Amino acid sequence: MQMQPSRFPDNLPAISLNKVALTLSSAAGPVNILHDISLTVSAGETVALTGPSGSGKSSLLMVAAGLERPSGGRVTVAGTDITGMGEDAAARFRRGRVGIVFQSFHLIPTMTALENVAVPLELMGVKNAWDRAALELKAVGLGERGEHYPGQLSGGEQQRVALARAMAPRPQILFADEPTGNLDSANGEAIADLLFALNAERNATLFLVTHEESLARRCARVVRLESGHIVADERVRPMIPA
Amino acid sequence: MTEIALAWKMARRELRGGLKGFRIFFLCLLLGTAAIAAVESLSDAFLNGLRDSGQVLLGGDVAVNLVHRPATPQERAFFGRYGKVAETTSMRAMAYALRDGRETERELVELKSVDDHWPLFGRPIFSPAASVADAIHCEDDGICGAAAEQTLLDRLHVKRGDLVKVGDATFRIIAALDKEPDRISAGFSLGPHLLISSHGLPATGLVQPGSLIDYSYRIAFRPGVTIAGFKADAARAFPDAGWQIHDRNDAAPGIRRFVEQVSMFLTLVGLTVLGVGGVGASEAVAAFLDRKRYDIAILKSLGADGPLVFLIFFLQVMAIAVGALILGASLGATAPFLLAHFYGSVLPLPPELGIYPGPLLLAAGFGLLSAIAFSVPPLGRAREIPSASLLRETVAPARARPRMGYIVAASLSGLGIAGLMLGLAPSPLYAGEFLGGAIILLVLLRLVAEGLTRALRKLPRPRSPLARLAVGDLTRPGAATQGVITALGLGLTLLATVILIDRTMGQEVDDSLPSRAPSFFFVDIQPDEVQAFDHTIQSFKTAEDYKRTPMIRGRITSLNGVPSAQAKVASEVKWALSGDRGITYASTPPKGTVITNGKWWPATYDGPTLISLDQEVAKGTGLKIGDPMTLNVLGREIDGRIANLRKVDFSTGGQNFVLVLSPGLIDKAPHSFLATVKISGPDENRMYMAVTDKFPNISTVRVKDAIAQVDTLLQQLAQGIRIASLVTILAGLLVLAGTIAAGARTRLYDATVLKVVGATRFQIALVYVLEYGLLGLATGIIALFAGTLAARVIAGQILEAPFVFDARAILWTVLGGGAATLLFGLLGAIAALNARPANRLRNA
Repeated sequence: MQMQPSRFPDNLPAISLNKVALTLSSAAGPVNILHDISLTVSAGETVALTGPSGSGKSSLLMVAAGLERPSGGRVTVAGTDITGMGEDAAARFRRGRVGIVFQSFHLIPTMTALENVAVPLELMGVKNAWDRAALELKAVGLGERGEHYPGQLSGGEQQRVALARAMAPRPQILFADEPTGNLDSANGEAIADLLFALNAERNATLFLVTHEESLARRCARVVRLESGHIVADERVRPMIPA
Repeated sequence: MTEIALAWKMARRELRGGLKGFRIFFLCLLLGTAAIAAVESLSDAFLNGLRDSGQVLLGGDVAVNLVHRPATPQERAFFGRYGKVAETTSMRAMAYALRDGRETERELVELKSVDDHWPLFGRPIFSPAASVADAIHCEDDGICGAAAEQTLLDRLHVKRGDLVKVGDATFRIIAALDKEPDRISAGFSLGPHLLISSHGLPATGLVQPGSLIDYSYRIAFRPGVTIAGFKADAARAFPDAGWQIHDRNDAAPGIRRFVEQVSMFLTLVGLTVLGVGGVGASEAVAAFLDRKRYDIAILKSLGADGPLVFLIFFLQVMAIAVGALILGASLGATAPFLLAHFYGSVLPLPPELGIYPGPLLLAAGFGLLSAIAFSVPPLGRAREIPSASLLRETVAPARARPRMGYIVAASLSGLGIAGLMLGLAPSPLYAGEFLGGAIILLVLLRLVAEGLTRALRKLPRPRSPLARLAVGDLTRPGAATQGVITALGLGLTLLATVILIDRTMGQEVDDSLPSRAPSFFFVDIQPDEVQAFDHTIQSFKTAEDYKRTPMIRGRITSLNGVPSAQAKVASEVKWALSGDRGITYASTPPKGTVITNGKWWPATYDGPTLISLDQEVAKGTGLKIGDPMTLNVLGREIDGRIANLRKVDFSTGGQNFVLVLSPGLIDKAPHSFLATVKISGPDENRMYMAVTDKFPNISTVRVKDAIAQVDTLLQQLAQGIRIASLVTILAGLLVLAGTIAAGARTRLYDATVLKVVGATRFQIALVYVLEYGLLGLATGIIALFAGTLAARVIAGQILEAPFVFDARAILWTVLGGGAATLLFGLLGAIAALNARPANRLRNA
């Protein structure tokens, strides 16, 4: 059951959000997180989403990655409308198309580093998943740590494993949610370098959530969110063609 | 003291959060305590019922029973001095429905005749309602009234006003006998009861010398007479009369022993529930403390020492335990009321309703001890959590061995449970074997679970990520493996054992016994009928193993010159000395005799009485070849010496005599004959009709009917025990639910991460199927082996029956247990499957 996602036509945007709204229920009543968000990210573009805490950055990333279903509007990712997708369909859709890196790494603690990286490849049915996972680990500088469990790795190393896991299936789009947020400045810097280097090498679209201005400035475009509204959308450097 | 006050203050603060994290602990203790409280309360209610209704159930303050002979005028006069006397007789007899003067349907009955004073206590219930005098009144035409149990009326197809014939006499059915106040003290009956007046009994012609008739004299004491006084006077006035005296305090000793034994077994099952629940409680406490690692580390960093940390959490656990014990005991206390409410009308014995503090305290004691035994080890480990835990979290939290003091405290509590059980059990040996078996099993299950975890860790990592995750779930620290295998394994093993024993006994009663046992027992064949009877039986060509033996009833009065009452005998052979036994005589060894010691007397021997004795009775009484023995037969003492010992196999269900005497003296005593024969097919019924047609005075017992009665009783007992075993499974499932709840957070996290990287819910569900399937399989296989082994030991050692391995029954049990594990596991994992990844990721 080998499943390789087909590449979407270059003229289509990688991510297209059209009047997206998100309202979550809570004990104190419904909370409106996102209001009428419309945003288009072209293929190969690097976009930073910034804003203060609670502005809805991570929620927007979740919606765009198909991890959260919007309350309103339309979400198209890699040419596919994922707005009404059920959970399983969304999971299948993500395979090979979308990679995600989290602030808290989110590795499976009972699996070794190598096994963690291999999981998405195995779910895609890639035959030489483990060999490819080993190469990805090597690419993030952890070729020798494959047999270690997450608990035996430092925070920076865990995030490298998470990055290798996200990049292993060669996704078209890489979502990163505060990837350096839990790391010290040196480790954070190293992860950021790795993230941008791999992204450039693989020519993927990068959708980065961060509240660090310096990290955001490394992207071609910076979108600012406040109280669930886009308040600024600025191109800071020319877009490298896909 | 201030330390305890401080610890309690902090514990109370923690308890404000309610039962969170302690639900399973609470439920496990509640279930075990409630089970024991219910069983013990019911037992006390029944035993009190027996005691309080003693006069009614016995029919008097005392009952003096005699076999074969009525009391002499002197004896009657003696009874009369102590109060009002009622005389009853009971015997087996054949009853025939009379239609147009012809005997048609027939049935073996327990014929009970009563005098005008019966009953001294209580009232029989007839339908239609009638007084005793009206129901069994004798008319001028010589026909007496009779009241019969409805079963007899149905089988004979007779109704009120119809005639039935017993022996030579005819009776008119006046009413159905719905309830006989003293029925329970009569014990097991081979046929339905037919109540007649003692005035009508002689006309039956069944009262013959040597007939098997039980005479009973019930006495309602005059004021001032005591049981002890009566017994002492009786022993002085009639030391050799051979009376069996029962008193109101122990009206139905058989029933009392039965209630005591069953309640002991069920209490042991209740203890197993506590054991299974204890495993769950231990896991729950450990899981709770794992969640409290940070709190404990903070407390320690703020200056709390190990003992204080232990105390804070110990007090919390005990406070919750006490709540569970009080609620459990209260629920158990309602059992007698519930039983009386729902089954009151069908109970053979009315429970004495009330709250019994003894059983409730006992149950609470068992609960408290098991709460301590199971919770102290994890609490002891928790105090070792270093404050450095604040700084780093390891994948495998350090699980240090608790200090010796905690291990000793837990072990003492465990010993306390065993001591309490053994001290209170009517059969400490069986209780000890049960407890020993349970402990060995518990250790074995723990070892197997540990071995499985290690083996899974050692196995090459599966290539499939789903299998890898399942294996990881089973082997990670705090995994369900240990708890579930131990707890469910214990419950499932008990159920497997019970089912196999049930099958073994069922096989014995349904198949083995009927194939060995004769088809008919013919009782009370009179000497003048012998020739005609032999001829009738032998006219059936298909009849096999026909045996006719003289039978006299007598009792052993002294062994080796020591009166029986004072002789030291092993408890397992006491029955041989209590009351009358069947005795026979023979000049040559009866067919199939196996002599194990000594020699049979010559065929022409005519000297002083020689005795052939059952070797087991000889062993239990310490009698040897040549030892003297005195028997009392129909009031006459017969001295004899033991000539040989025989092997008697009582499991054949045929004629088995403990005592066979040499002829010469005994054969002069009036006696009847007992015969057995084996016959099958249509001839069986023909023989029944032929014998009952020609010999209405001979009681014909169909063995298969008697076996069916025993079988029904066994089935009911087995059903009760199966239900009790299911409670242990329920406790096991609670433990499973507990471990699922404890692992829910990790499970949810793993599921979320898998979804993020593209796994569908079906694929994640497969992980759980693998995980719980493996757990269920392991538990099932252990239960299969352990249950088979336990049942084999019980069958061989206790039941002495050939063990029957019913593969189908056991496979169903084990598969059922495995499937329940799987189902429960999947149900518990639904939350993880359905959780939206975003929610979990947002809260991370």
